[in-house]
Amino acid sequence: MMSFRIAAAVWAAIGALALVTEPAVAQTPKPGGHINVMLREDLPQGFAVHETGTVSTSFPSMPCFNNLVVFDQLKRTESVDTLVGELAEKWSWQDNYRNLVFFLRKDVKWHDGKPFTSKDVKFTFDMLREGPDAPAKLRINPRKEWYSNVEAIETPDPYTVVFHLKRPQPSLLLMFASGYTPIYAAHVPPASYRTSCVGTGPFKVKEWRKGEFVDYVKNADYFVKGRPYLDSIRYVVIENRGTRMSALQAGKLDVSFPGEMTKTAAEQLKKAVPQMVITTVGQTVSDNIIMNVKKPPFDNLKVRLAVSYGIDRRGMIQAVHQGGAVPGAALPPKPWGVWGIPEQGLLTLPGYGKPADEKAKAKKMMAEVGYTPEKPLKVEIGTRAIAIYVDMASFVINELKQIGIEATLKQVETAQWHPMATRGDYQIGANLTGLGIDDPDANFYENYACGSPRNYSQYCSEQVGKMIDQQSQEVNQQKRLEMVLALQKKVEEEAPRPILDWKLDYFAHWPYVHNMIPQNNIYNFGRMQDVWRDK
Amino acid sequence: MKTYLAQRLGIAAVTLFGMSLVIFVLLRLAPGDIVDILFSTGGYVNPSERAAIEKELGLDKPLTFQYVEWMRHMATGDLGKSYRYDLPAWEIIRPLLPVTIELATLSMIVAVLLGVPTGVISAVRQDTTLDYVLRVLSLAGLSMPSFWLGMVIILALVAWIGWIPPMTYVPVSENFKLHAIQFALPALAVGYRSSALIMRITRSALLEVMREDYIRTARAKGQGERAVIWNHALKNAILPVVTVIGIEFAFLIGGLVVTETVFNLPGIARFLVQAILWRDYPIVQTLVMFIATVVIISNLAVDMLYGVLDPRVRYGG
Repeated sequence: MMSFRIAAAVWAAIGALALVTEPAVAQTPKPGGHINVMLREDLPQGFAVHETGTVSTSFPSMPCFNNLVVFDQLKRTESVDTLVGELAEKWSWQDNYRNLVFFLRKDVKWHDGKPFTSKDVKFTFDMLREGPDAPAKLRINPRKEWYSNVEAIETPDPYTVVFHLKRPQPSLLLMFASGYTPIYAAHVPPASYRTSCVGTGPFKVKEWRKGEFVDYVKNADYFVKGRPYLDSIRYVVIENRGTRMSALQAGKLDVSFPGEMTKTAAEQLKKAVPQMVITTVGQTVSDNIIMNVKKPPFDNLKVRLAVSYGIDRRGMIQAVHQGGAVPGAALPPKPWGVWGIPEQGLLTLPGYGKPADEKAKAKKMMAEVGYTPEKPLKVEIGTRAIAIYVDMASFVINELKQIGIEATLKQVETAQWHPMATRGDYQIGANLTGLGIDDPDANFYENYACGSPRNYSQYCSEQVGKMIDQQSQEVNQQKRLEMVLALQKKVEEEAPRPILDWKLDYFAHWPYVHNMIPQNNIYNFGRMQDVWRDK
Repeated sequence: MKTYLAQRLGIAAVTLFGMSLVIFVLLRLAPGDIVDILFSTGGYVNPSERAAIEKELGLDKPLTFQYVEWMRHMATGDLGKSYRYDLPAWEIIRPLLPVTIELATLSMIVAVLLGVPTGVISAVRQDTTLDYVLRVLSLAGLSMPSFWLGMVIILALVAWIGWIPPMTYVPVSENFKLHAIQFALPALAVGYRSSALIMRITRSALLEVMREDYIRTARAKGQGERAVIWNHALKNAILPVVTVIGIEFAFLIGGLVVTETVFNLPGIARFLVQAILWRDYPIVQTLVMFIATVVIISNLAVDMLYGVLDPRVRYGG
């Protein structure tokens, strides 16, 4: 019996490995060719990456742009160790992480032929941080907080840029590497990126046929010699999920879309097309519960904690995601992230123990505030009227019913969801949160800091604020990790936004497409510079 | 005839005016607007930025002012600018029109070619096995939504031959064969459903006519069965069929949403849904007015055709 179990485990491991690994055969890249890449909707705001926060804009815009630095597009993990220069040849922290100096490449041209200089970098970041002398303003600026620590930007010469910070912030470098941080051309109005794209990237936009496709052609003047390999790329908009999957299976598409594939869909695809390369990566997107701490009954910590204790995370991962997610606190755990609390550490947090024990604790807490399954607390749980939100909310409602909370589902149209959440015009909500980068600063300042527009739970703690600032300034990586773990524990114990799981992606492409490496974050890969086709 | 036409055109103008009011009001009654959608892609809302965008798009103006402005621009042929794409509405809509019109036309051709002959056969062979088979097939056609049939066709093609039609629009000038393939499958899926309706109407109308005295007279005069059916019965039975064809065509112009989505054809119906989701008022208003115009023209064309098909129908002043 034992040997059977071992054999089964070995085969299961081999099977899992087949699903998660790409054949590691070193081949000489072949230049030329074309690939078709999946898009699930048309580019919401064209190529205006700085005015949006959706992968539907960032992913298909990646080939047009470059950043100062980028996460190595040939590696899955995103961390300070995987940063490589793009428009910056080198960089240096000075004055104990108060000044960040970039030395720019001198051989870069914009797609319209004009030279790239430090003026473009200053223009981009002054616009993003809405500096006092900013030459342009974005109509929507979702990541302004990322740059709130930048005091001034200097350009001593056309190829040097100095970022002066108010206080040390090592994470700033990671924010510069996000797919959400391309450099815009100073000579082009920012609004024009909504309809066209003047970048420095490996591909130039040839045509954007609205609702149909985006065609890219190779940038012959690209500053990395010998790149890109491909002659052209077409991003094909296919709104129907069944048609998208059929198109991939039939070879009409060569590469899938980040975050597109569920575990079940990936298994079906692998069965239908055994040679399809499917890579399991983290999405850096969490399912979470937002509770308005400014309004009764969730201004009461006991009620919030009861909610957190009452939801069986592992049960939800199986029921809602068929195993295609992992439990984790405020940041995704290893190997899908860098900063997350490990499995063992999670066991001490609300909601991660044995489901029956956790539910008993939740019931006890609810009883202490006067509610029982017989005399339940009645609330309305809001969520976006999209299947992935509603599925999660339905599971949560069932879980809460068992601890004395009778929740009714209120489906909110997309147009209304964020205004409602930002205003705090709700009691409790089932929410999804994507992190632009797997970094504590990006997450905590956006989602937990006092006054942040994306802090939907309206949570504000002086102690947590201090902890966020302290970890942000810590230059020793190990020390910072310890601080971040403590911070995650703290916010789970305060439960303004209990995290339910971190979703996984099963990124698919045909085996003849090489160097198409998905990362543990749907927002930061897809430059396509090194991708080549062997067919 | 001229007076009748003038009357109908007058009614059409009033209908379009009413339609413009209805769509204008309904769109604004729907929760949220383009500014909410734009912010939702950023995951937050900033009141001052919101106000600035509303001002930029003219959404801060009173509704009556917005309506009058829209009408004034429409009168000069200016359809406005897409909120989402920041481009003139006509520039976006123009390439979509031929796709939907072609698909609707092809679907109707399939529907008529399938529906009328099978309806005639079914009526002539009433209560025979062939009649039952054709009626079951038509019932199946009515029961299966065309988008579902379309999805089944795509899944079956992938599963059996590992092939599906092109996923981006292939203009006829670029590759006739691929273009034909691209439109053939959705036209069959949509046409089959419409043919079922046409078949049933043809059958019942023909059965009714076949019981008329003049049919008996024609037979008594020794005319052959084929001549009786095609020259006398069908000509009189075709009036309700023409009405159904007209209504179906008008319906298809705006009703191909899911078929266009399933076959990934860039037509107006699919685009209209996206525009509604984005609260892209100029695009939605223009497309709805276009669809309303097609419906009115189709109805008018059908009514005019009556006069041609039935000598008893005369349009006087």
